[in-house]
Amino acid sequence: MILEIKGLDKSFPQTDHDKIEVLKNLNLQVEVGETVAVVGQSGSGKSTLLSLLAGLDRQSSGSLRLRDQEISAMSEVKLTQFRAENIGIIFQQFYLMPHLTALENVSLPLEMFGHKDSLQRAREALLQVGLEEREKHFPHQLSGGESQRVAIARAIVIRPAILLADEPTGNLDNATGVQVSNLLFDLVQTTGMTLLLVTHNTELALRCSRQLTLQSGTFQ
Amino acid sequence: MKNPPAFFWLKLAFRELLNNRRFSLFFIFNLALGLAGFIALDSFKESLDNHLGQNSKAILGADIALTSYLPFEDKTLDALEAKFPQNTLSTRKTTLFTMVASEDQSRLVQITGIEKEFPFYGKMVLKKNGVVESENVEQSLALSGEAWVYPELLFMLGLKLGGSVKIGEKNFTIADTVLDDPSSSFSSFGLAPRVYLAYSQMQETALLSKKSRVSYQRLYRLPDGTDLSGLVVKLQNQINSFDGSDSKIRILTHKRAGNNLGRLLGYLNDYLGLVAMIAVFLAGIGAAYLFRNYLVHRFREISILMSLGATRQQTYRMVLWQLGLLGTGAALIAIFISLVILPLLPLLLKQFLPNGFETQLSLGSLLFALVLGGVGSLVFCLPVLSRIRTVQPLQLFHKNVGQQDVTPALWRQALSYLPLLILSWSLSVWQSHSLIVGSAFVGMLLASILFLGSIAWLVLFLAGKLSQTSGSTMKRLAFRNLQRNRAGAISCFLALALGTLLINLIPQIYQGLQEEVSRPDDFRIPSLFLFDIQPEQMEPLLKTLSVEKVNLNYLSPMVRARLEKVNGKSFDFNSEEVSLTREEERQQNFRRHNLNLSYRTQLSDSEQIVEGRLLATNFDLDSGKPAEISLEVRYAERMGFKLGDLLTFNVQEVLVEAIVINLRRVQWNSFQPNFFILFQPGVLEDAPGTFVGSIGGLDASRRMNVQNRIVSDYPNVSVIDVTRMVGRVLKISDQMVLALRLMAYLSILAGLVVVFSIARHEVEGRLWELNLLKVLGARFSDIQKMIQIEFAVLGIFAGLFGVAVSLIMSYGISWWFFENLWKWTWQTSLGSIIGVTALSVGVAWLATQRTLRSSPLTLLRSS
Repeated sequence: MILEIKGLDKSFPQTDHDKIEVLKNLNLQVEVGETVAVVGQSGSGKSTLLSLLAGLDRQSSGSLRLRDQEISAMSEVKLTQFRAENIGIIFQQFYLMPHLTALENVSLPLEMFGHKDSLQRAREALLQVGLEEREKHFPHQLSGGESQRVAIARAIVIRPAILLADEPTGNLDNATGVQVSNLLFDLVQTTGMTLLLVTHNTELALRCSRQLTLQSGTFQ
Repeated sequence: MKNPPAFFWLKLAFRELLNNRRFSLFFIFNLALGLAGFIALDSFKESLDNHLGQNSKAILGADIALTSYLPFEDKTLDALEAKFPQNTLSTRKTTLFTMVASEDQSRLVQITGIEKEFPFYGKMVLKKNGVVESENVEQSLALSGEAWVYPELLFMLGLKLGGSVKIGEKNFTIADTVLDDPSSSFSSFGLAPRVYLAYSQMQETALLSKKSRVSYQRLYRLPDGTDLSGLVVKLQNQINSFDGSDSKIRILTHKRAGNNLGRLLGYLNDYLGLVAMIAVFLAGIGAAYLFRNYLVHRFREISILMSLGATRQQTYRMVLWQLGLLGTGAALIAIFISLVILPLLPLLLKQFLPNGFETQLSLGSLLFALVLGGVGSLVFCLPVLSRIRTVQPLQLFHKNVGQQDVTPALWRQALSYLPLLILSWSLSVWQSHSLIVGSAFVGMLLASILFLGSIAWLVLFLAGKLSQTSGSTMKRLAFRNLQRNRAGAISCFLALALGTLLINLIPQIYQGLQEEVSRPDDFRIPSLFLFDIQPEQMEPLLKTLSVEKVNLNYLSPMVRARLEKVNGKSFDFNSEEVSLTREEERQQNFRRHNLNLSYRTQLSDSEQIVEGRLLATNFDLDSGKPAEISLEVRYAERMGFKLGDLLTFNVQEVLVEAIVINLRRVQWNSFQPNFFILFQPGVLEDAPGTFVGSIGGLDASRRMNVQNRIVSDYPNVSVIDVTRMVGRVLKISDQMVLALRLMAYLSILAGLVVVFSIARHEVEGRLWELNLLKVLGARFSDIQKMIQIEFAVLGIFAGLFGVAVSLIMSYGISWWFFENLWKWTWQTSLGSIIGVTALSVGVAWLATQRTLRSSPLTLLRSS
C-alpha cells in the first residue's frame, strides 16, 4: 500500500464561531501502481484533497500516510523534501516557469537538489513525452498540449512514488486532451507509478482502475 | 538531499529579471536617478577632503603654526621652540584687516606681512614675476617697500601696477598681483582682498597697536618623520604652564588649516546632501511600487518552486538576489549619471573652492554607491518582501494564484518599515554631520509623508464617492479607477507632492531673507559699518562726520577678552579635538576665538530680554559682588551657559568675574552692532578698547565719499560698505541656492520618472478593460480623457498640498533659524500647482500613448 487515509477531516474557519467542513472523515487506501480517479462536482473538495495529498496543506484531523510515513507529523522542511522526492504534481494550468526553456523547466526539481545528472534525466523525460526536439523552446513557444507534456515530464523526472494530476486535460481541446491522457497512462503503466487523478472528464476517469466520487466532502 | 549548485538561485533570479526586462529597466533607472545626486555629492565631498588633505601644508604654508593676538615674548618663544626637533625652520607672519586708499577710493583689505622663507610649502604665483622665491620677498617687499595685491583690488581702487596705495601711515607701490595663493581663504567673502607686505614694513604702517586686531603667527617647517601629534601635545602642555596672555597661544596644524578652509563648503555640502536624499526617497517610492507589482505577479512562480521542493527561505533568497542585482544595476547607472553631474558642481561652487581643485570619482564613492544601491533597494522593498511569507503553494490548485494580493499582518508591515527608517535617519545624520539637523530632517520628511499620504487617501476616498454621482462616464470611470488602484495613486501623489514641496521650500525660505537684506529704502539697514575707532578719535570723528552731514549711530564700545573660567572651572579647549557633529564644531570655534565684550546702559531696539532682569545701571566695585552680564540666548545655549553662571574673563590681563543676569534675543537682521556678551556699565570703561558704529541712509556716491574721508583722516578705522557686502553675500547665496535648486530639480526628475513608471504600469495592467471599453464603443480620445482626469486630480491635489506643506515648513524654518523673515510669494505657489498638474498630465500622456493605441483585437486573442 502506498497511500492510506484514515478519518481525514479538513475544515476552514469562516468567522469566529463558524467553519466550513470541506472533507469529512475520508478513508482511502491506494496500492502501488494503482490508478485512481476522483470525480465530483465543483466545491466537492477535490482540490482540497489534492492539496492535502501533495503536502501543500495540513488536515484538521485524521491520518495521511504516504509510503508508510505520516505526512502530518513532518515539519515544513521535511515535508518539502519528502514532496520533492516522492510526489509528482501535474496542474491543470501547466504552471511552467515562463523564463526557462522546456529542458530547464523539466530539470528544475533535480537541479534544486544538486543532482549532477539533472540535464541528462530531463532529456530522458522529454524523450518519454515526445518533446526531445523542443528542449530549447520557451513555454510561450509551445502549444497547450506541448506545455502539459512538459509539465508531465517535470512531474516524472524525479521518479515519484505517486503522481497527482489536477484536471490534466482541463485546459486542452478534446483531441489534445486524449493525446495527453494517453501519454499519461502509458507512462504510468511503463513505470509502475501510482496515479491519483482529479477530473470532471468521465472518459478519463473510466480509464483509471478505480473511480471515487467525492460528494459533500465524503466518498460515495 | 544535496544542496543546489553554487549560485543556482542567483542564476534563476537573473533569468527571471531578464524575462521581465521592462520592469527591471524601469526599476534600475528609477533608483539610479535618485542615487545619482547623492553619489555625485559624496564624490565631490571626498574630492574636496582629499584635495584639502593633500594640500593642507600648502594652505597653511607650514607644518605647524603658533598664533597669538599679541606679539610673542622672547622667553615664551624660546620655551616653545625648545620643544621642536633640531633643524626646524621658522618664519614670521602677521595679519590684520584695515582700510587702504588710493586717491579717490578706499577698501577694506587683509594685510599679510611675510618674510623671505614664506611659504614653506606651496607656491605663490605672481603675474609679473611668476613663482615667488625668497629673493622676491626680500628684494621686492622688504628692501623696496613694495606691495603685492590680489588683482580685484586694482579694479576696486582704480589702480594699475606701479600705482601707489596708502596703508596706514605709509604709501606702498603695487609691484605685482597675486595670481595663485594656496592659502587663500573664502572667509572674507571676497570683501577684503589680500595685500602682501614685508613683515619688516608692517611697523611702518603704524597699524600694529595693542588695540588693533592683529594676528601674529610663527610658522614652522619640521624635519621629515617628525611626530606631529606628539609635538602638539608637548607644545600644548608648555602653553598650559604659562600665565597670562601666553597661555592663550593657539596651535594650528596643517590638517586643521585644511579643515578650516573647507568648513563653509562643508555646511553647504551637508544641505545639498539632504536635498539629494529626497531624490533617493522619491526614487525609493517608485522602486517599491514597481517591485510590489512585480512580486505579486511572481507569486505563481514562487508557488511553483515551492511545490517542486523549494523552501520558503530559498524563495526569499532568490528574491533577495533579484533585489541585489537590481540595486547593483541601479548603482552602476547612478555612477554613470553622477559623472555627468559631478563636473557641474565645481562650476556652480567656484567661489568656494580652493585653487587647483578637481573632482574625481574615488573608489570609496564607487563602493558607497554599490552598497547604497544594494542596501537601498532591499530596504525600500522590504515592506513588499514580507508578502512572500503569506504565499501558499496550495493556491496553485485554486487556479488564481498571482492575482490574489495577500496582505500580511499589520504589525509585520509596520516592522518591515523599521530598517528604512533607520537607514534614512543614519544617512541624514551622517550627511548633515548633526544629530539635531539629521533627526529633524527625517522627522519632517516622515511627518510630510504621513500627512500627504493621509491626504491622498482622503482624495481617493472622495473620488470614490464622486464616481457614484452623475457626470460623464469617463469622469466617473476616472474617479473609480483612482479609488481602485490605491497603491499606484498614492505613490504618484506622494512623488508629486514631495517634489512640489521641495521646489517651493528653498525659494520660499530664501525669498524672505533676500527681501529683508536687499531693501533699498529701509534705513534700518546701515550703509556703512565702522570699527576700530580709538577712544581718542571719537570727538574728532564725530566732528568730521557732522561736516559731512551724517550721524554716527549705535555707537558701542568693544573690548576684547578671553573666557578663562566658568563657575570656577577652567574653560580650556583642545585645539586638536576632533569634532563629530556640526554643533560640536561650532562650539569648538566659539571656544577658540577671542570674545568681543561691550557695555551699555539700556537695550537697543533690536534686543529683547527672554529670561532674567535688566542689568543694574552701575557697578559697585566695593561691594565684592561680581559684575552683571547679559548673554545672547542662542550663544548661551550653544555654550551651555545659563542664568546665575559665574564667568571669569581675561580682559587684557585683568581677570573680571561676572554673573549671568539675563538672556536676551537679538534681531541680527537689524545689521546694527550687537554683542553676544554685554556688561553692565561701570566695569569695562577703563579697559583698552575700540568703538564700533554705523552710518545709515547714504546712496552709493555719498557712501564712497564718506568712506574715503574717514580712511583719509583716520587710516586705522575700518569701514565696511554694508550695501556692497549685502550684495556680495546675496550673490554668493544665489550660487548656493542654485546648487540647492539643482539637487531639488534632480529630485523632481526622480519624482516624474516615478509618475511615468506608475502611469505606464497602471495602464498596462488595465489593458484588458481599456480594450473592452473600445470594443463597447469608447473612442481613443475618451479613454485618453479618462487617464488625463485621473492624473489631473492627482496633480492638482498633490500640488496644492505639497505647496501647503512647503509653506508650513518654510515658515517654521524661517521662524527657527532666521527670526521669522518669511514672506509668501503666491506666484511661486500658484506656478508650482499649475506646473505640477501639467507635468502629471503630460508625463501620464507620454507614458500611456503606445499602450492606449493598441488594438482591441488583443482582447480576443488573449482568451
